[in-house]
Parts: sequence; C-alpha cells; structure tokens
Amino acid sequence: MSHRFSVEITKRLPGFTLDVSWTAGDGVAVLFGPSGAGKTLTLQCLAGLIRPDAGRVVVDDRVLFDAAAGVNLPPQQRRVGYVFQSYALFPHLTVAGNVGFGLRDRPRHARERRVVEVLERLDLAGLAHRRPSELSGGQRQRVALGRALAIDPALLLLDEPLSALDAPLRRALRDELRSILSGWGTAAVLVTHDFTEAYRLADRIIVYENGRVIQSAPRAELLWQPASEAVARVMGLRNVLHGVVVKATPDRIQIAWRGHTLEAVNSPTRSYLPAPESPIAFFIRPEYVRLIRKDRSAPDAAHHMNLMRGTVVGEADFGTVWSLRLRLDTPGAPSQGDFDLEVEVPHLVYEILEIERDRHWEFSIHRGSIHVLPT
Amino acid sequence: MSAEALSALGLSIRVAVAATLLNALIGIPLAYLLARRAFRGRALVDLVVTLPLVLPPTVTGYYLIVLLGRRGWLGAPVYALSGWSVAFTWYAAVIAATVMALPLLVRTARAAIESVDRELEKAAFTLGRSEWRTVLEVTLPLARNGIIAGLVLAFARALGEFGATLMLAGNIPGKTTTVPLAIYTAVQTGEMGEAVALVLALTALSCLVLILAGRLGARAA
Repeated sequence: MSHRFSVEITKRLPGFTLDVSWTAGDGVAVLFGPSGAGKTLTLQCLAGLIRPDAGRVVVDDRVLFDAAAGVNLPPQQRRVGYVFQSYALFPHLTVAGNVGFGLRDRPRHARERRVVEVLERLDLAGLAHRRPSELSGGQRQRVALGRALAIDPALLLLDEPLSALDAPLRRALRDELRSILSGWGTAAVLVTHDFTEAYRLADRIIVYENGRVIQSAPRAELLWQPASEAVARVMGLRNVLHGVVVKATPDRIQIAWRGHTLEAVNSPTRSYLPAPESPIAFFIRPEYVRLIRKDRSAPDAAHHMNLMRGTVVGEADFGTVWSLRLRLDTPGAPSQGDFDLEVEVPHLVYEILEIERDRHWEFSIHRGSIHVLPT
Repeated sequence: MSAEALSALGLSIRVAVAATLLNALIGIPLAYLLARRAFRGRALVDLVVTLPLVLPPTVTGYYLIVLLGRRGWLGAPVYALSGWSVAFTWYAAVIAATVMALPLLVRTARAAIESVDRELEKAAFTLGRSEWRTVLEVTLPLARNGIIAGLVLAFARALGEFGATLMLAGNIPGKTTTVPLAIYTAVQTGEMGEAVALVLALTALSCLVLILAGRLGARAA
C-alpha cells in the first residue's frame, strides 16, 4: 500500500513558534536539525499529544487534525505509533504485556497470536516474560518498536530512537532499525540531530531550524545540493565560504575568492544565475581537495582546476584521517579565522606525502566539488 | 484488660480502618488531580487539604464543629431536617481521623504519582487507552509503593488521633472513647495499669502495621 501524508502545523509557545509545512510518502521521513528546532514538538502534534494552534494533518486521506474544520482526533483514535526517546516501556509489565498493550480491543486469542507474531518478527520470542529492566538497550528498542507496530499504525513516529544507546551499539542498531523499518513497510517519521543517522535512515530528509523547515528533499539531493547556507550550517558542512560572482551561466559559475577566480559547476537541476558582483556562498568538502605531489611533473592548468598554493597552519589527527588547516599564500585576511580551507587526507596519504615535514603545498579542487549555495 | 479498654481498642481499630478507607476513596483521586491536572482553585484545594498537618488538632476540631456541629453550617440543616447530628457519634471520630490523616496520604501519594514518567501515560494514550484506564493500568500500579506508604501513614495517624476527635466526637466511654482518649482518661484518674496496657496494645498494633506495610512494599518492588 502506498502512503501519503501532509503536515501543516502552527504552534506558539512562550519564546518559540513552530510553523512548518511538509509532505512525505512511503518510507522514512527524517526530521533533522539542531536541538530545540521543534522536531519533537512536531511529533507530539502528529500523535495528538499536543494541540496545534492552527493547521491540518492528513495521513492516508484520514484527517487527524484540522483547525479550520474543528477536527482534532484524540491520540487514542489516531492509530499513530510512537517510539519515545526513552522508549517509555511499562516497567511493571513483561515484554509480552508491553507489546500487547495496544491490542486490548481484540479478542484474547487474536491478541496473543499478534503478540507472538510481533515478538518473532523482532527476534524477541525468548524474552516474552522478561521485564524491561532485564533487557539490554537494543532489546528495549525492539520492544518499543514492537509495541508501536503491533497496533498496525498508519504512521510510526520515532523520537531520537538511538540516542539512549552508547556509540558502538548505536551504529549496529542504526542498521538494524533501518532493516526493521523497511521490512515492516510502515510510513515513519524519525527525529534526529545526527546527520549520519539521518542519512542512513531516511528516504526523505526535512531540515528544521528554529521552528521552520528550511529544506525538504530526498536524502541524496540534500547531501549534494543543500538549498541554502542555513541548511549547509545545520548539516555541519565544513568550508562554507563567501565570494563574489564573476560570471554565471546555466552550467558554470565563476567566483572571486581570496584573490583567485574559482570555477564551479552550476546546479544541473536548478540553475542558479546570480548577477555579477553579487555575494555568493559555496562550500567545499574537505575530502575533495587534492594535494599535488611534488615528485611528479609540474602541475598543468589543463589537468588541475582551481589551482592554489598554501601553508599548513594547523592539523588534527582523527585516527583514520588527518584534518589540515590550510592558509592561502595570497594576501588578505584568511576566510575562516586563521585559515582558509580545511582539508582531510587519509593517514596513508599523510605519511606518503610526508606532510609532517613538508608544510607548503599546491592543491586543486575540481569544479564539480565546489557547491554553490543559493541565497 | 478491662471491658472499657477492650471497647476502646475495638473502636480505635474500627475508626482507623474506616478513616483509612475514606482516605483511599477521597485521597487517591485528589492526589491524582493535584499531581496531573491544572484546574481553577487547585492551590486552594492543596492548602485546605494540607492545613490539618500544620494547625493544632484542636483548631482543626474547632473548624469541624463549626462545619458539622449541631449549629454548624452543614450540621444545622441536617439537624433541622432529621433531628440527628454527627457530633458526639463514632462517625464524628471517623471524620476527625479522616481529615487529620488526609494530608499525609495526599502528599505521599501525590509525590508518588508525580514521579511516574508522564511519557508512560502518553505512550498508553497512543496505544488507545483512555485517561481513566491509563490511571488504573499505568499510573496507580507504578505509584503503588508510595500510595501504600501513604495509606500506612494515614492509618497510623487515624489510630493516634486525639485533639480533633475530642473536639468533634467527645470522650463518651463505649461510644467515642478511642484508645488515645482512654489512655488520657486513665492517666488522669490514676489507673496506671489500664494506661500501660493500652499504651502497649497501641504500640504493638503500630509495629504490626509497619511490618505488614514493609512486606507489602517489598513485594511490590
């Protein structure tokens, strides 16, 4: 079955206003953004735990909330499964009691059959008589999922489902959660402030900032084409820089920056044509800057685009990669405090190039790796 | 032990049990409302319920006479209609004990209910439970230890109630003389043997209640 839901919510709280509007369909929609952006508040409005001031929430043609029409289904009638951040398992009930909690209306044998089925699908069959306090973090998460999924929800809401776990477990459970969600096929909305998590779990990512949606896009589009500088910052992108437009055509943009003229590819899907002389923001992923080896023939402008020179002024070891801070040779104030570009190189490259000893480098950036951020 | 002492002991137990039941009936819903609902006059209800904890019992007793006595706000119309007044009956002892014990139950139960994670209640709502069913299936079972502790405190308070009982119910042997009143009377009239017997009986009873409550609490945990 194909799902479709639309959300339009306004909610004023003291010192904060949530005003969002987005739609999603099959699969997992991730609400991504910093803490306090209104993501959890949105979930609570979807579940009927908080009443929005205005707006409309429709899930699969079923109106859950419509301020204008005076519709506000109570949470009991929404058929919306909610997996809380703390899981909120009933500590006085067994695993089976928790999973069967939402099935009270069904006849006893049907309820028991459904509980057994859910427990088996989630690999919890042997734990039916345990209490939540006797479970591991991963098992608790599966019980919380099972309890919400047992009622066949029209929509499943997950509030930071991985934040209660420690780092190694988090990664394993992220992948497990992904396979459970896709296996079950229920449309889901998941909240997270971790971009890796958002990207791994999402089909569509809805970026929240300060009570508003600043971009809603399929995850790959978001990754490669953030809609604005604000989105780039919320995503935690590095090397978000500011230059001035020299010339823009539907497939290329030339940008004056720190004494160089950079050439960038214009967005293939939504060509952006700012006027010359107008300010422009762009970003360069640190792992896409290419240091040029000195033991080979001299760099050739035809092979190396956006050729620049600079000095390593700072570095940090992240275990498998080194992060270098480069300052350009061109005069003028560096663009990011005391450096211009952050560059990431694998450990092996760092050792082969002897970067520890050799601090001055020539480097290039392919035009496809300079991403323009529309204003 | 004399027949009078035995009667006082029986009456005390009856009064304390009745007052504890009334406390459960009134106090638990009240504790829930104070813990979970915002309503007009909430602060006032909280204040009135808590006052007997800090007022001298005789002052509480005086208010009870003003309210329920033969010429009281509620007592007068009842007396005019039926010729009956609650004052100086064993019901009066129950009412006095209930009012004096209520703040202990309400405060303890309220704290226990407030400590139940609200997300558990919200989870129950999303799983189709009404607020009423959620209270019965989630909130109260999880607040159980605190509520039991509150009921034990209420029972103990009711068993030992003296001042307010004396004001509203009097000290009528065989009718409203509870153990604390009987001890007082015995000491006043120099019947030390009787006093010691009652003191020991009351002490033993209180110990028994505490031990039973401890067992209940341990099993619930």
